[in-house]
Amino acid sequence: MKLSKILAVGGVIALAAVMYAMLARVYPFNWSIVLRYKKLFWEGFIVTLKVSGVSVVISFMLGLIFAIFRVSKVDFFKDIAGLYVWFFRNTPLLVIILLTYYGVGTITNMNRFWAAALALSMFEGAYMTEIIRAGIEAVNPGEIEAAKSLGMSEFQIFSTVIFPQAMKISLPPLIGQMVSLIKDSSLASVIALQELTMMGRQVGTRTLASFESYITVAFLYILITSVISVGGRIIERRLSLS
Amino acid sequence: MNVLKLENIHKSFGDLRVLKGIELEINKGEILVILGPSGAGKSTLLRVMNMLEPPDEGRVIFLGRELDPKNKRLIKKARSRIGFVFQHFNLFSNMNALDNVAVGLVKVKKMDWKQAREIAKMYLAKVGLSDKAKVFPQKLSGGQKQRVAIARALAMEPELILFDEPTSALDPSLVGEVLEVMKKLAVEGRTMVVVTHEMGFAKHVASRIAYMEDGVIVEEASPEEFFSSPRSEMAKRFVGAILERMV
Repeated sequence: MKLSKILAVGGVIALAAVMYAMLARVYPFNWSIVLRYKKLFWEGFIVTLKVSGVSVVISFMLGLIFAIFRVSKVDFFKDIAGLYVWFFRNTPLLVIILLTYYGVGTITNMNRFWAAALALSMFEGAYMTEIIRAGIEAVNPGEIEAAKSLGMSEFQIFSTVIFPQAMKISLPPLIGQMVSLIKDSSLASVIALQELTMMGRQVGTRTLASFESYITVAFLYILITSVISVGGRIIERRLSLS
Repeated sequence: MNVLKLENIHKSFGDLRVLKGIELEINKGEILVILGPSGAGKSTLLRVMNMLEPPDEGRVIFLGRELDPKNKRLIKKARSRIGFVFQHFNLFSNMNALDNVAVGLVKVKKMDWKQAREIAKMYLAKVGLSDKAKVFPQKLSGGQKQRVAIARALAMEPELILFDEPTSALDPSLVGEVLEVMKKLAVEGRTMVVVTHEMGFAKHVASRIAYMEDGVIVEEASPEEFFSSPRSEMAKRFVGAILERMV
Protein backbone atom coordinates (compact mmCIF):
# COMPACT_ATOMS: atom_id res chain seq x y z
CA MET A 1 0.00 0.00 0.00
CA LYS A 2 1.16 3.51 -0.74
CA LEU A 3 2.36 5.69 2.13
CA SER A 4 -0.18 8.40 1.35
CA LYS A 5 -2.98 5.88 1.66
CA ILE A 6 -1.67 4.61 5.01
CA LEU A 7 -1.48 8.19 6.26
CA ALA A 8 -5.02 8.97 5.13
CA VAL A 9 -6.56 5.85 6.64
CA GLY A 10 -4.48 6.19 9.79
CA GLY A 11 -5.49 9.83 10.15
CA VAL A 12 -9.18 9.09 9.89
CA ILE A 13 -8.94 6.23 12.38
CA ALA A 14 -6.98 8.43 14.80
CA LEU A 15 -9.58 11.19 14.51
CA ALA A 16 -12.40 8.70 15.17
CA ALA A 17 -10.50 7.30 18.14
CA VAL A 18 -10.04 10.77 19.64
CA MET A 19 -13.75 11.53 19.25
CA TYR A 20 -14.61 8.16 20.76
CA ALA A 21 -12.32 8.78 23.73
CA MET A 22 -13.79 12.23 24.32
CA LEU A 23 -17.30 10.84 24.15
CA ALA A 24 -16.34 7.94 26.42
CA ARG A 25 -15.42 10.41 29.18
CA VAL A 26 -19.02 11.49 29.48
CA TYR A 27 -20.86 8.51 28.03
CA PRO A 28 -20.43 5.01 29.46
CA PHE A 29 -20.07 2.77 26.40
CA ASN A 30 -21.48 -0.68 26.91
CA TRP A 31 -20.88 -2.81 23.84
CA SER A 32 -22.27 -5.97 25.34
CA ILE A 33 -25.79 -4.82 24.48
CA VAL A 34 -24.99 -5.29 20.79
CA LEU A 35 -24.36 -8.95 21.46
CA ARG A 36 -27.32 -9.24 23.74
CA TYR A 37 -29.64 -7.81 21.08
CA LYS A 38 -27.89 -9.35 18.10
CA LYS A 39 -31.07 -11.13 17.12
CA LEU A 40 -32.91 -7.82 16.66
CA PHE A 41 -30.03 -6.36 14.61
CA TRP A 42 -29.95 -9.48 12.51
CA GLU A 43 -33.70 -9.37 11.85
CA GLY A 44 -33.47 -5.71 10.88
CA PHE A 45 -30.49 -6.44 8.66
CA ILE A 46 -32.45 -9.15 6.84
CA VAL A 47 -35.51 -6.93 6.36
CA THR A 48 -33.27 -4.16 4.98
CA LEU A 49 -31.67 -6.65 2.60
CA LYS A 50 -35.05 -7.91 1.47
CA VAL A 51 -36.71 -4.54 0.99
CA SER A 52 -33.64 -3.16 -0.82
CA GLY A 53 -33.22 -6.28 -2.91
CA VAL A 54 -36.82 -6.24 -4.09
CA SER A 55 -36.64 -2.48 -4.72
CA VAL A 56 -33.37 -2.72 -6.65
CA VAL A 57 -34.97 -5.18 -9.06
CA ILE A 58 -38.27 -3.31 -9.46
CA SER A 59 -36.67 0.14 -9.70
CA PHE A 60 -34.28 -1.08 -12.37
CA MET A 61 -37.15 -2.49 -14.40
CA LEU A 62 -39.13 0.73 -13.97
CA GLY A 63 -36.03 2.71 -14.95
CA LEU A 64 -35.54 0.61 -18.05
CA ILE A 65 -39.19 0.79 -19.14
CA PHE A 66 -39.54 4.53 -18.55
CA ALA A 67 -36.17 5.24 -20.16
CA ILE A 68 -37.40 3.47 -23.30
CA PHE A 69 -40.61 5.52 -23.06
CA ARG A 70 -38.58 8.71 -22.79
CA VAL A 71 -36.64 8.05 -25.97
CA SER A 72 -39.61 6.61 -27.86
CA LYS A 73 -41.03 8.37 -30.88
CA VAL A 74 -44.55 8.25 -29.45
CA ASP A 75 -45.37 11.51 -27.65
CA PHE A 76 -47.85 9.80 -25.34
CA PHE A 77 -45.18 7.49 -23.86
CA LYS A 78 -42.70 10.32 -23.69
CA ASP A 79 -45.14 12.45 -21.70
CA ILE A 80 -46.02 9.63 -19.31
CA ALA A 81 -42.35 9.03 -18.58
CA GLY A 82 -41.69 12.75 -18.26
CA LEU A 83 -44.47 13.13 -15.69
CA TYR A 84 -43.22 10.11 -13.77
CA VAL A 85 -39.69 11.45 -13.52
CA TRP A 86 -40.89 14.95 -12.73
CA PHE A 87 -43.14 13.81 -9.89
CA PHE A 88 -40.81 11.38 -8.16
CA ARG A 89 -37.68 13.48 -8.48
CA ASN A 90 -39.40 16.50 -6.98
CA THR A 91 -41.10 14.87 -3.99
CA PRO A 92 -39.22 13.87 -0.83
CA LEU A 93 -38.92 10.13 -0.39
CA LEU A 94 -40.24 10.39 3.14
CA VAL A 95 -43.46 11.92 1.83
CA ILE A 96 -43.75 9.26 -0.88
CA ILE A 97 -43.37 6.50 1.69
CA LEU A 98 -46.06 8.02 3.90
CA LEU A 99 -48.40 8.59 0.97
CA THR A 100 -47.88 5.06 -0.30
CA TYR A 101 -48.45 3.39 3.05
CA TYR A 102 -51.36 5.49 4.29
CA GLY A 103 -52.82 6.15 0.85
CA VAL A 104 -52.26 3.26 -1.51
CA GLY A 105 -51.79 0.90 1.42
CA THR A 106 -55.21 1.74 2.83
CA ILE A 107 -57.03 1.26 -0.45
CA THR A 108 -55.34 -1.99 -1.38
CA ASN A 109 -54.61 -3.36 2.07
CA MET A 110 -50.89 -3.39 1.31
CA ASN A 111 -48.59 -4.26 4.20
CA ARG A 112 -45.64 -2.18 5.41
CA PHE A 113 -43.04 -4.17 3.56
CA TRP A 114 -44.64 -3.84 0.14
CA ALA A 115 -45.61 -0.23 0.70
CA ALA A 116 -41.98 0.57 1.47
CA ALA A 117 -40.74 -1.48 -1.47
CA LEU A 118 -43.20 0.19 -3.83
CA ALA A 119 -42.34 3.70 -2.63
CA LEU A 120 -38.60 3.06 -2.84
CA SER A 121 -38.92 1.46 -6.29
CA MET A 122 -40.97 4.31 -7.73
CA PHE A 123 -38.65 6.94 -6.25
CA GLU A 124 -35.32 5.38 -7.22
CA GLY A 125 -36.78 4.22 -10.54
CA ALA A 126 -37.19 7.86 -11.55
CA TYR A 127 -33.47 8.44 -11.08
CA MET A 128 -32.62 5.20 -12.87
CA THR A 129 -34.84 6.31 -15.76
CA GLU A 130 -32.67 9.36 -16.25
CA ILE A 131 -29.45 7.36 -15.89
CA ILE A 132 -30.51 4.75 -18.44
CA ARG A 133 -31.91 7.38 -20.79
CA ALA A 134 -28.54 9.13 -20.78
CA GLY A 135 -26.90 5.76 -21.52
CA ILE A 136 -29.23 5.11 -24.45
CA GLU A 137 -28.66 8.59 -25.86
CA ALA A 138 -24.90 8.14 -25.60
CA VAL A 139 -24.95 5.31 -28.15
CA ASN A 140 -23.51 6.46 -31.47
CA PRO A 141 -26.48 7.16 -33.80
CA GLY A 142 -24.33 5.98 -36.70
CA GLU A 143 -24.35 2.46 -35.27
CA ILE A 144 -28.14 2.55 -35.18
CA GLU A 145 -28.16 3.57 -38.85
CA ALA A 146 -25.76 0.77 -39.65
CA ALA A 147 -28.07 -1.73 -37.94
CA LYS A 148 -31.02 -0.32 -39.86
CA SER A 149 -29.09 -0.63 -43.10
CA LEU A 150 -28.57 -4.33 -42.44
CA GLY A 151 -32.36 -4.69 -42.31
CA MET A 152 -32.74 -5.15 -38.56
CA SER A 153 -36.06 -4.40 -36.87
CA GLU A 154 -36.40 -1.72 -34.21
CA PHE A 155 -36.50 -4.38 -31.52
CA GLN A 156 -33.39 -6.13 -32.86
CA ILE A 157 -31.56 -2.83 -33.02
CA PHE A 158 -32.48 -2.12 -29.43
CA SER A 159 -31.57 -5.54 -28.07
CA THR A 160 -28.33 -6.09 -29.98
CA VAL A 161 -26.84 -2.62 -30.37
CA ILE A 162 -28.44 -0.06 -28.06
CA PHE A 163 -29.19 -2.00 -24.88
CA PRO A 164 -25.79 -3.66 -24.33
CA GLN A 165 -23.96 -0.38 -24.88
CA ALA A 166 -26.40 1.68 -22.82
CA MET A 167 -26.01 -0.76 -19.91
CA LYS A 168 -22.25 -0.56 -20.03
CA ILE A 169 -22.37 3.24 -20.00
CA SER A 170 -25.03 3.37 -17.27
CA LEU A 171 -23.48 0.79 -14.96
CA PRO A 172 -21.34 3.06 -12.72
CA PRO A 173 -24.11 5.60 -12.01
CA LEU A 174 -26.63 2.74 -11.62
CA ILE A 175 -24.47 1.15 -8.93
CA GLY A 176 -24.32 4.51 -7.20
CA GLN A 177 -28.09 4.75 -7.33
CA MET A 178 -28.43 1.26 -5.84
CA VAL A 179 -26.19 2.28 -2.97
CA SER A 180 -28.45 5.30 -2.43
CA LEU A 181 -31.47 3.03 -2.48
CA ILE A 182 -30.07 0.84 0.28
CA LYS A 183 -29.38 3.85 2.47
CA ASP A 184 -32.74 5.41 1.62
CA SER A 185 -34.51 2.25 2.78
CA SER A 186 -33.80 3.45 6.33
CA LEU A 187 -36.60 5.98 5.82
CA ALA A 188 -39.06 3.08 5.81
CA SER A 189 -38.71 3.12 9.59
CA VAL A 190 -41.20 6.01 9.50
CA ILE A 191 -43.98 3.54 8.73
CA ALA A 192 -42.59 1.20 11.40
CA LEU A 193 -41.14 -1.33 9.01
CA GLN A 194 -38.84 -3.43 11.18
CA GLU A 195 -35.74 -2.77 9.15
CA LEU A 196 -32.23 -2.07 10.35
CA THR A 197 -32.63 1.58 11.37
CA MET A 198 -35.91 0.88 13.14
CA MET A 199 -34.36 -1.99 15.06
CA GLY A 200 -31.37 0.14 15.94
CA ARG A 201 -33.64 2.81 17.35
CA GLN A 202 -35.59 0.21 19.33
CA VAL A 203 -32.46 -1.26 20.87
CA GLY A 204 -31.17 2.25 21.57
CA THR A 205 -34.27 3.39 23.41
CA ARG A 206 -34.80 0.15 25.24
CA THR A 207 -31.26 -0.04 26.61
CA LEU A 208 -30.34 3.65 26.58
CA ALA A 209 -27.31 2.61 24.52
CA SER A 210 -28.03 4.78 21.46
CA PHE A 211 -24.43 5.24 20.33
CA GLU A 212 -23.62 1.56 20.45
CA SER A 213 -26.69 0.62 18.42
CA TYR A 214 -26.42 3.45 15.86
CA ILE A 215 -22.72 2.76 15.32
CA THR A 216 -23.62 -0.89 14.77
CA VAL A 217 -26.37 0.10 12.35
CA ALA A 218 -24.00 2.37 10.42
CA PHE A 219 -21.44 -0.40 10.21
CA LEU A 220 -24.00 -2.87 8.85
CA TYR A 221 -25.13 -0.38 6.15
CA ILE A 222 -21.52 0.19 5.12
CA LEU A 223 -21.09 -3.56 4.89
CA ILE A 224 -23.99 -3.96 2.42
CA THR A 225 -23.17 -0.92 0.29
CA SER A 226 -19.48 -1.80 0.11
CA VAL A 227 -20.28 -5.27 -1.18
CA ILE A 228 -22.46 -3.67 -3.89
CA SER A 229 -19.79 -1.13 -4.83
CA VAL A 230 -17.00 -3.68 -5.02
CA GLY A 231 -19.21 -6.08 -6.98
CA GLY A 232 -20.11 -3.28 -9.36
CA ARG A 233 -16.48 -2.40 -9.92
CA ILE A 234 -15.64 -6.02 -10.74
CA ILE A 235 -18.43 -6.20 -13.32
CA GLU A 236 -17.32 -2.85 -14.75
CA ARG A 237 -13.77 -4.03 -15.14
CA ARG A 238 -14.91 -7.24 -16.80
CA LEU A 239 -17.09 -5.27 -19.24
CA SER A 240 -14.36 -2.82 -20.13
CA LEU A 241 -12.13 -5.73 -21.15
CA SER A 242 -14.56 -6.68 -23.88
CA MET B 1 -32.39 -4.62 -66.10
CA ASN B 2 -31.84 -1.92 -63.52
CA VAL B 3 -31.29 -2.79 -59.89
CA LEU B 4 -32.42 0.54 -58.55
CA LYS B 5 -34.39 3.32 -60.13
CA LEU B 6 -35.09 6.77 -58.74
CA GLU B 7 -37.94 8.82 -60.14
CA ASN B 8 -38.37 12.52 -59.48
CA ILE B 9 -36.88 12.41 -55.96
CA HIS B 10 -37.38 15.49 -53.82
CA LYS B 11 -36.12 15.92 -50.28
CA SER B 12 -36.01 18.92 -47.96
CA PHE B 13 -34.74 19.43 -44.43
CA GLY B 14 -36.90 22.24 -43.11
CA ASP B 15 -36.60 25.07 -45.60
CA LEU B 16 -33.49 23.64 -47.17
CA ARG B 17 -34.21 21.84 -50.42
CA VAL B 18 -31.51 19.21 -50.71
CA LEU B 19 -32.74 17.09 -53.63
CA LYS B 20 -34.71 18.67 -56.46
CA GLY B 21 -36.15 16.07 -58.75
CA ILE B 22 -33.50 13.38 -59.14
CA GLU B 23 -33.86 10.79 -61.92
CA LEU B 24 -31.35 7.97 -61.83
CA GLU B 25 -31.01 4.35 -62.84
CA ILE B 26 -28.42 1.92 -61.59
CA ASN B 27 -27.88 -1.12 -63.78
CA LYS B 28 -26.67 -4.53 -62.73
CA GLY B 29 -22.89 -4.83 -62.56
CA GLU B 30 -22.34 -1.14 -62.95
CA ILE B 31 -20.19 1.13 -60.80
CA LEU B 32 -21.78 4.52 -60.58
CA VAL B 33 -19.63 7.22 -59.00
CA ILE B 34 -21.39 10.34 -57.79
CA LEU B 35 -19.21 13.44 -57.80
CA GLY B 36 -19.90 17.00 -56.78
CA PRO B 37 -18.99 19.73 -54.32
CA SER B 38 -19.86 19.49 -50.62
CA GLY B 39 -23.50 20.26 -49.95
CA ALA B 40 -24.62 19.10 -53.38
CA GLY B 41 -26.87 16.45 -51.81
CA LYS B 42 -24.76 13.40 -52.69
CA SER B 43 -24.95 11.74 -49.28
CA THR B 44 -28.65 12.47 -48.93
CA LEU B 45 -29.25 10.91 -52.33
CA LEU B 46 -27.40 7.78 -51.23
CA ARG B 47 -29.42 7.65 -48.01
CA VAL B 48 -32.64 7.91 -50.00
CA MET B 49 -31.59 4.83 -51.95
CA ASN B 50 -31.90 2.56 -48.89
CA MET B 51 -34.63 4.66 -47.25
CA LEU B 52 -32.53 5.91 -44.36
CA GLU B 53 -34.07 9.18 -45.58
CA PRO B 54 -37.46 8.53 -47.16
CA PRO B 55 -38.04 11.04 -49.99
CA ASP B 56 -40.69 13.75 -49.64
CA GLU B 57 -41.75 13.11 -53.18
CA GLY B 58 -40.88 10.63 -55.92
CA ARG B 59 -40.38 6.90 -56.15
CA VAL B 60 -37.54 4.55 -55.24
CA ILE B 61 -37.84 1.28 -57.15
CA PHE B 62 -35.62 -1.61 -56.06
CA LEU B 63 -35.62 -4.72 -58.26
CA GLY B 64 -38.88 -3.65 -59.83
CA ARG B 65 -40.73 -2.96 -56.59
CA GLU B 66 -41.51 0.49 -55.30
CA LEU B 67 -40.26 1.03 -51.75
CA ASP B 68 -43.19 2.43 -49.83
CA PRO B 69 -41.91 4.05 -46.61
CA LYS B 70 -45.02 2.82 -44.82
CA ASN B 71 -44.32 -0.80 -45.72
CA LYS B 72 -41.78 -1.54 -42.99
CA ARG B 73 -41.37 -5.19 -43.94
CA LEU B 74 -40.56 -4.38 -47.51
CA ILE B 75 -38.11 -1.68 -46.46
CA LYS B 76 -36.31 -4.06 -44.08
CA LYS B 77 -36.16 -6.72 -46.76
CA ALA B 78 -34.77 -4.24 -49.29
CA ARG B 79 -32.19 -2.94 -46.81
CA SER B 80 -30.97 -6.45 -46.15
CA ARG B 81 -30.16 -6.67 -49.86
CA ILE B 82 -28.59 -3.21 -50.15
CA GLY B 83 -25.21 -2.85 -48.46
CA PHE B 84 -24.30 0.52 -46.99
CA VAL B 85 -20.76 1.61 -46.13
CA PHE B 86 -20.53 4.78 -44.05
CA GLN B 87 -17.96 7.53 -43.97
CA HIS B 88 -17.48 7.00 -40.24
CA PHE B 89 -17.59 3.17 -40.44
CA ASN B 90 -20.24 2.83 -37.70
CA LEU B 91 -19.06 -0.57 -36.53
CA PHE B 92 -20.95 -1.90 -33.52
CA SER B 93 -18.60 -1.05 -30.68
CA ASN B 94 -19.99 -3.78 -28.42
CA MET B 95 -18.90 -6.54 -30.81
CA ASN B 96 -15.59 -7.74 -32.13
CA ALA B 97 -14.78 -7.62 -35.85
CA LEU B 98 -16.08 -11.12 -36.50
CA ASP B 99 -19.42 -10.56 -34.79
CA ASN B 100 -19.82 -7.21 -36.54
CA VAL B 101 -19.82 -9.15 -39.78
CA ALA B 102 -21.88 -12.08 -38.46
CA VAL B 103 -24.62 -10.22 -36.61
CA GLY B 104 -26.61 -9.30 -39.72
CA LEU B 105 -26.67 -12.92 -40.81
CA VAL B 106 -27.91 -14.00 -37.40
CA LYS B 107 -30.52 -11.32 -36.81
CA VAL B 108 -31.76 -10.72 -40.33
CA LYS B 109 -31.02 -13.96 -42.17
CA LYS B 110 -31.81 -16.06 -39.08
CA MET B 111 -28.65 -18.15 -39.23
CA ASP B 112 -27.20 -19.61 -36.05
CA TRP B 113 -24.08 -17.92 -34.69
CA LYS B 114 -21.77 -20.81 -35.53
CA GLN B 115 -22.66 -20.83 -39.20
CA ALA B 116 -22.74 -17.03 -39.39
CA ARG B 117 -19.27 -16.77 -37.88
CA GLU B 118 -17.93 -19.28 -40.41
CA ILE B 119 -19.22 -17.09 -43.23
CA ALA B 120 -17.99 -13.95 -41.47
CA LYS B 121 -14.50 -15.44 -41.33
CA MET B 122 -14.57 -15.85 -45.09
CA TYR B 123 -15.46 -12.23 -45.64
CA LEU B 124 -12.88 -10.99 -43.15
CA ALA B 125 -10.31 -12.99 -45.09
CA LYS B 126 -11.54 -11.37 -48.27
CA VAL B 127 -10.77 -7.89 -46.92
CA GLY B 128 -7.46 -9.14 -45.51
CA LEU B 129 -8.35 -9.07 -41.84
CA SER B 130 -8.43 -12.73 -40.78
CA ASP B 131 -6.05 -11.95 -37.93
CA LYS B 132 -8.33 -9.25 -36.50
CA ALA B 133 -11.45 -11.39 -35.98
CA LYS B 134 -11.40 -11.11 -32.18
CA VAL B 135 -10.41 -7.45 -32.08
CA PHE B 136 -12.92 -4.79 -31.02
CA PRO B 137 -13.41 -1.73 -33.22
CA GLN B 138 -11.74 0.61 -30.70
CA LYS B 139 -8.47 -1.23 -31.31
CA LEU B 140 -8.61 -1.10 -35.12
CA SER B 141 -7.16 1.57 -37.40
CA GLY B 142 -9.52 3.59 -39.57
CA GLY B 143 -8.64 1.60 -42.66
CA GLN B 144 -9.19 -1.68 -40.84
CA LYS B 145 -12.53 -0.46 -39.49
CA GLN B 146 -13.68 0.46 -42.96
CA ARG B 147 -12.62 -2.93 -44.32
CA VAL B 148 -14.60 -4.67 -41.56
CA ALA B 149 -17.55 -2.44 -42.48
CA ILE B 150 -17.23 -3.52 -46.09
CA ALA B 151 -17.07 -7.17 -45.01
CA ARG B 152 -20.20 -6.59 -42.92
CA ALA B 153 -22.02 -5.28 -45.98
CA LEU B 154 -20.70 -8.06 -48.24
CA ALA B 155 -21.67 -10.87 -45.89
CA MET B 156 -25.33 -10.11 -46.56
CA GLU B 157 -24.70 -10.87 -50.24
CA PRO B 158 -26.30 -7.61 -51.36
CA GLU B 159 -27.56 -6.85 -54.86
CA LEU B 160 -26.20 -3.34 -54.53
CA ILE B 161 -23.62 -1.69 -52.29
CA LEU B 162 -23.74 2.00 -51.46
CA PHE B 163 -20.52 3.73 -50.36
CA ASP B 164 -20.85 7.12 -48.67
CA GLU B 165 -17.42 8.77 -48.88
CA PRO B 166 -15.74 5.63 -47.56
CA THR B 167 -12.25 7.12 -47.47
CA SER B 168 -12.99 10.69 -46.39
CA ALA B 169 -12.49 10.05 -42.69
CA LEU B 170 -9.25 8.14 -43.18
CA ASP B 171 -5.65 9.07 -42.68
CA PRO B 172 -4.20 9.60 -46.19
CA SER B 173 -1.86 6.66 -45.65
CA LEU B 174 -4.83 4.33 -45.05
CA VAL B 175 -6.91 5.32 -48.07
CA GLY B 176 -5.11 2.89 -50.36
CA GLU B 177 -6.01 -0.31 -48.50
CA VAL B 178 -9.73 0.56 -48.63
CA LEU B 179 -9.65 1.53 -52.30
CA GLU B 180 -7.87 -1.76 -53.07
CA VAL B 181 -10.75 -3.71 -51.55
CA MET B 182 -13.27 -1.64 -53.48
CA LYS B 183 -11.41 -2.22 -56.75
CA LYS B 184 -11.49 -5.93 -56.06
CA LEU B 185 -15.27 -5.75 -55.71
CA ALA B 186 -15.48 -3.80 -58.94
CA VAL B 187 -13.57 -6.49 -60.76
CA GLU B 188 -16.00 -9.10 -59.40
CA GLY B 189 -18.75 -7.24 -61.20
CA ARG B 190 -20.69 -6.08 -58.18
CA THR B 191 -23.19 -3.29 -58.50
CA MET B 192 -21.96 -0.27 -56.58
CA VAL B 193 -22.84 3.37 -56.07
CA VAL B 194 -19.92 5.35 -54.70
CA VAL B 195 -19.93 8.91 -53.40
CA THR B 196 -16.30 9.92 -53.24
CA HIS B 197 -13.71 12.62 -53.64
CA GLU B 198 -11.12 10.10 -54.87
CA MET B 199 -10.73 11.21 -58.47
CA GLY B 200 -8.36 8.39 -59.31
CA PHE B 201 -10.98 5.86 -58.31
CA ALA B 202 -13.67 7.71 -60.24
CA LYS B 203 -11.53 7.89 -63.36
CA HIS B 204 -10.26 4.32 -63.42
CA VAL B 205 -12.93 2.22 -61.74
CA ALA B 206 -16.27 3.91 -62.47
CA SER B 207 -18.39 2.73 -65.32
CA ARG B 208 -20.40 5.93 -65.16
CA ILE B 209 -20.11 9.30 -63.46
CA ALA B 210 -23.06 11.31 -62.19
CA TYR B 211 -22.16 14.90 -61.43
CA MET B 212 -24.36 16.63 -58.84
CA GLU B 213 -24.64 20.21 -57.83
CA ASP B 214 -27.26 21.98 -55.71
CA GLY B 215 -29.61 19.01 -55.49
CA VAL B 216 -29.66 18.26 -59.18
CA ILE B 217 -27.81 15.73 -61.35
CA VAL B 218 -26.19 18.08 -63.81
CA GLU B 219 -24.45 15.58 -65.98
CA GLU B 220 -24.10 11.85 -66.52
CA ALA B 221 -21.19 10.59 -68.56
CA SER B 222 -18.55 7.92 -68.89
CA PRO B 223 -15.41 8.71 -66.88
CA GLU B 224 -13.31 9.34 -70.02
CA GLU B 225 -15.85 11.78 -71.35
CA PHE B 226 -16.42 13.46 -68.00
CA PHE B 227 -12.79 14.15 -67.22
CA SER B 228 -11.68 15.09 -70.75
CA SER B 229 -14.65 17.01 -72.07
CA PRO B 230 -17.37 17.79 -69.55
CA ARG B 231 -20.45 19.29 -71.19
CA SER B 232 -21.97 21.54 -68.55
CA GLU B 233 -20.38 24.72 -67.26
CA MET B 234 -20.55 23.49 -63.67
CA ALA B 235 -18.80 20.22 -64.43
CA LYS B 236 -16.17 22.09 -66.43
CA ARG B 237 -15.39 24.27 -63.44
CA PHE B 238 -15.27 21.21 -61.16
CA VAL B 239 -12.94 19.25 -63.42
CA GLY B 240 -10.86 22.38 -64.05
CA ALA B 241 -10.37 22.87 -60.33
CA ILE B 242 -9.24 19.25 -59.93
CA LEU B 243 -6.76 19.48 -62.77
CA GLU B 244 -5.36 22.66 -61.27
CA ARG B 245 -4.87 20.96 -57.92
CA MET B 246 -3.05 18.06 -59.52
CA VAL B 247 -0.47 20.31 -61.19
